[in-house]
Formats: sequence, C-alpha cells, structure tokens
Amino acid sequence: MAGTVSSSRGCVTLRGAQIRDLLDAKHNVLFDCDGVIWNGETAVTGAPEVVSLLKQRGKRVFFVTNNCTRPRENYVQKFCRLGFTDVAEEEIFSSAYCSAAYLRDVARLQGKVYVIGCGGVMKELQDAGVPVVEEDSAADREPGTSIYNCPLDPDVKAVLVGYDENFTFMKLAKACCYLRNSECLFLATDPDPWHPLRGGRITPGSGSLTAALETASSRKATVIGKPSRFMYECIASQFDLDPARSLMIGDRLETDILFGSNCGLSTVLTLTGVSTLEEAHRYRDSEAPEQKDCVPDYVVESVADFLQALEE
Amino acid sequence: MAASKCTRLSSALSRQLLDSVDSVLFDCDGVIWRGDQAVPGAPEVINSLKKNGKRVFFVTNNSTKTRKMYADKLAKLGFNATADEVFGTAYCSAMYLKNVCKLDGKVYLIGSNAMRQELEEVGIQPVGVGPDPISGVQIDWANVPLDKEVQAVLVGFDEHFSYMKLNRALQYLCNLDCQFVGTNTDTRLPLEGGKAVPGTGCLLRAVETAAQRQAQVVGKPSNFMFECVASQFDLDPQRCLMVGDRLDTDIMLGSNCGLKTLLTLTGVSTVAEAEANQKSECPHRQKMVPDYYVDSIADILPALQA
Repeated sequence: MAGTVSSSRGCVTLRGAQIRDLLDAKHNVLFDCDGVIWNGETAVTGAPEVVSLLKQRGKRVFFVTNNCTRPRENYVQKFCRLGFTDVAEEEIFSSAYCSAAYLRDVARLQGKVYVIGCGGVMKELQDAGVPVVEEDSAADREPGTSIYNCPLDPDVKAVLVGYDENFTFMKLAKACCYLRNSECLFLATDPDPWHPLRGGRITPGSGSLTAALETASSRKATVIGKPSRFMYECIASQFDLDPARSLMIGDRLETDILFGSNCGLSTVLTLTGVSTLEEAHRYRDSEAPEQKDCVPDYVVESVADFLQALEE
Repeated sequence: MAASKCTRLSSALSRQLLDSVDSVLFDCDGVIWRGDQAVPGAPEVINSLKKNGKRVFFVTNNSTKTRKMYADKLAKLGFNATADEVFGTAYCSAMYLKNVCKLDGKVYLIGSNAMRQELEEVGIQPVGVGPDPISGVQIDWANVPLDKEVQAVLVGFDEHFSYMKLNRALQYLCNLDCQFVGTNTDTRLPLEGGKAVPGTGCLLRAVETAAQRQAQVVGKPSNFMFECVASQFDLDPQRCLMVGDRLDTDIMLGSNCGLKTLLTLTGVSTVAEAEANQKSECPHRQKMVPDYYVDSIADILPALQA
C-alpha cells in the first residue's frame, strides 16, 4: 500500500565501528558450526582467530549445532584439527548432547529409549547414563521376524529419532509400535530436512526421518535442536546467560536465526553457508508475521568480518 | 437422489440407489476384504451386481500387487472379477507416468516388485528395486552415481526402504526437471489378521521433506484413479457409485468426481466422523460426507436379490 511505512527492519550489513559497538554490548557469543566457522573439514578463513580474540576480550563463546553425528569429544578433536586452539568440551552444545540432557534432566526418564540414530547420538546417551534399547540385529534375522512381527522391549519409555544412515523400514515400524503408547515420549534431535556437505552437495537429514515417523504415528515430535529453545535453555542451565547480552551467529535462517529470535537474542547471518541475502530479504519483505522471526538483525559476509574490530 | 446426506441406506433406498447407477466402484481393504478374508456377503454382492447388469470395478491405493495378483486374490475369495476391472496404484502409477508425465526414460523406483512389473508392462524401465544397504561415508552418498536416463522418481510401498534409498531419491530430485510421483499418502498399510504397518505416506513424507518438493500423488483422493477407469470404460460419473471405508480417500474421491458415495463401516471411518464433517463449516470436510452409509456392503444384498 502506498504511503505505508515498511516494518521491514533487520538485515543490516555490519561494518567497522558497528561491529565494535555490537561486540561491546554482548557478553556471550553463540556460533553455529557448519557454514559459519567451518565447511566440512576446512575452517572458514579467520574463524579460529575470531574465536580466540573474542575469548581474549573476555567474551564467553558457545557452539550450538544441530549436527548430531559426533559426540562432544569428537567435536573437540575437530576444533583442534581445524586450528581452533582453545575450545573446551563444555562450550559445545550439539543436538545429540542436548537430547541426552533432555532425557536425563527434563524428562527424567525412568526406562529405556528406543533410538533411531547414529553413533554420535548413542555415545551422548551412553555418556549421560540414559539406557538405550540394544539394536539386536541377530534377533531381527530370526525366521518369522519381519516388519510385520517384531519383538518389543517393555521398558521403552521414549523414542528418539535423529540422523541415521542405517535407517530401515523395520526401525520405522518398531518406533511406530512404541509410540502407540501415548505415555511414550517422542523426541527428535533436530528438524533439518537435509545436511549440506562440501561442494554444495546435500544428504537427507534428521528432519526427513522424523517426518516419516510423525506420519506413521500421527504424533508430533518434541524437537530438541534449533529453532526450538531447548538448546539455549541447556546452555543457560549450566552458565549464567542474559539474552539481552547474547548474540547468535548462524548461516541458516530457518534454524539459527529463528532460534535466536525465539530466545530473545540478537542475530547475525553469515553468508558462508546455506542461506543467501536474497532469502533474508524475502523474509524481511514478507507479510506473514511468523516469517519476520527468520529475519537476522545483522548480516556479514563471513565471521572474518569481526576480525578488524577485534584486532583494534 | 436425496438432498440430505449421510443417510443410513435402507432396503427401499438401496433399490432406488442401485437403479440410479450403472457402475459400482469398490475400495478393497476394509470394504470387500480384510486381510485375506472376504467380508461376509461381499462376494455375493459383487456377483449379484454383475448379474443385475451393473459393471463393477476395484479401486485400491495398495501398491503391493499387480492387477493380475489382485485378480488371483479376488478369484480365490469367490469374487467373479477380471484383471482389467482392477485399478491398483501399481498399475495406475505406471499409466500416470506414461500418459500424464509422458515419461520418456527410466524411473528411480522406491517400491515393490509388483510396481516394477506394471512399469515394465507399459515399457518404462525402473531402477533401484530391492534392498539397498549403506556403505562408505557421507560424501560418497552425496556423490552416488546417477543413471542419466532416469527422468522421474516414483515412491510406493517398500519394505526395503532405507536411508540409502532416501538418499538416492534426493540426489535425483535435486534436478528440478526430474519428475516426482507418489502412489498414495495412506499412513498405514493394512495387513492380514488386522495388523498394520507404516504406509507409503510415511516414506513419501521422508522423501518430500529431504527434497523440499511435493510429489504428484496418483492414488485416492486424486481424481486420476477415477479418470483411469472412466477413460477405459466410458463411465458417466452421475451413473457411478463409489463404495469405500475411508472418508479422506474413497468418499473424497467420489465427491471430487461427482459420483454417488456409500460409506461402509467394516473398515476405518465411523459415522460419528462423517457426521462431524457434515456439521463442520469447512468446505474441505464437507467433501468427506457420504451420501449413504451401511454397516457392511452385505446390507445391500436383499435389494439385489429381490
């Protein structure tokens, strides 16, 4: 409509003094990983220095990733490998770690969890002391055992679905059987429909497996990963965080930026990953109120843009 | 035809209804059979309809059998029927790919051997059927070799569904010129003995989510299933009756195609659900209200044998 003042704020390109002012106002910086500080096995140029300098300036740094394929100790090794010299395990919050924390501390699970997930998820559950149903492939190969007739463990009180390269119809059928009991919890590590790999390639994500199970069970999963608030609450339960003094830096509008909005954080979109400036503008210019939450406050080309302000 | 809807079909109304139609289309699971047992009286109903000069067709979303396999099952259970009267989604998907998509190439198939056979019958070569276990690492999966002749991905019921199959489908669908078709969206597949397993709808949702694309769906309530029958047998929708047990597939199809509709209560949906739809203001739900209902299709037998 002519004459209407556009409510499209956000997407401010951060430069020079603005970066310094922003960092002065924030005590905690939360980074997504894939597409922000690294791409595959390659660090984003300048990212290790940015993280180091932030810490030297007295900022607290956290890493918040939906990628559930590694346990935290593996992430520490990756950080080292890629030149991030002083990242501690306690600063890393993956959806696998947070799913285990949820089951242990929030749900206070009294029983076992049936897991559709990869090694990273299994290890975090093991580390948290959450009992997992053993995937007994030998029993599954007994004659008479099929998708139509498989044994169930009576101690299962929760189903957790995440990225699983060994996903099969059998697992889907079993999980669906467990979920028929409305008391059985239904959790998903993250909603990502696909994961980006190097070279612009993609591979199916946890979100696609969760969609199959939600359709089969006619139930909605409680999603742990971004954009749900839980990962932030997990950090806040261990560290004292003031959302007004916290900054979220991510590359995916529908997960990282929406997560930041949901938690009351200021948000920065970096263009070294999934989302583009055009997509951010489309959200900004959209009429739908819920789309506004995907609009980043600020945009940078890369986290390296923070270097100049930090080095001064 | 009664102006009101969702009426119990009495004997008198049965005769009136049957006189007003030439063709009767039956869903299968929950209507004429449950698992591998005929609904009592169902074979007599179908056979009587034919003796009364009505044409009978079978329209099912189940993609696990070919028309020939269905004909064998029908015969075994005492139904007087032939393969060309059966329209299952294995057959209809092949027809859809050939005649609507005008496919000139191969199809990556997540589905059964029955689907493979129906595709080969119309000259379309499928790739990918059978077990497909994972090997290698993530970057290998994103780089799986793709068959350049594949021009469509078709998803149906597949007990060998795996991450690898989901991945291959995704890689093909990254090319927006590759067509994307699903047999049906039913969330559960009914089995013998009253059991059920997750249905094709679950597998299709997984692929749609990963690819961030919507499939063209062949099965009920899509009109294509009726159009497939109608084009081969020259049907007048106003002289057709659709008999089914599901409001969201069978009755919806009937409403969308202008057929008369009869809900039978030997399957999924209930009268309470139909009446709730009738009372709702929502136009979408209004399409899921049958003209009539019966406890079982055997209830129309007296009218047929009179």
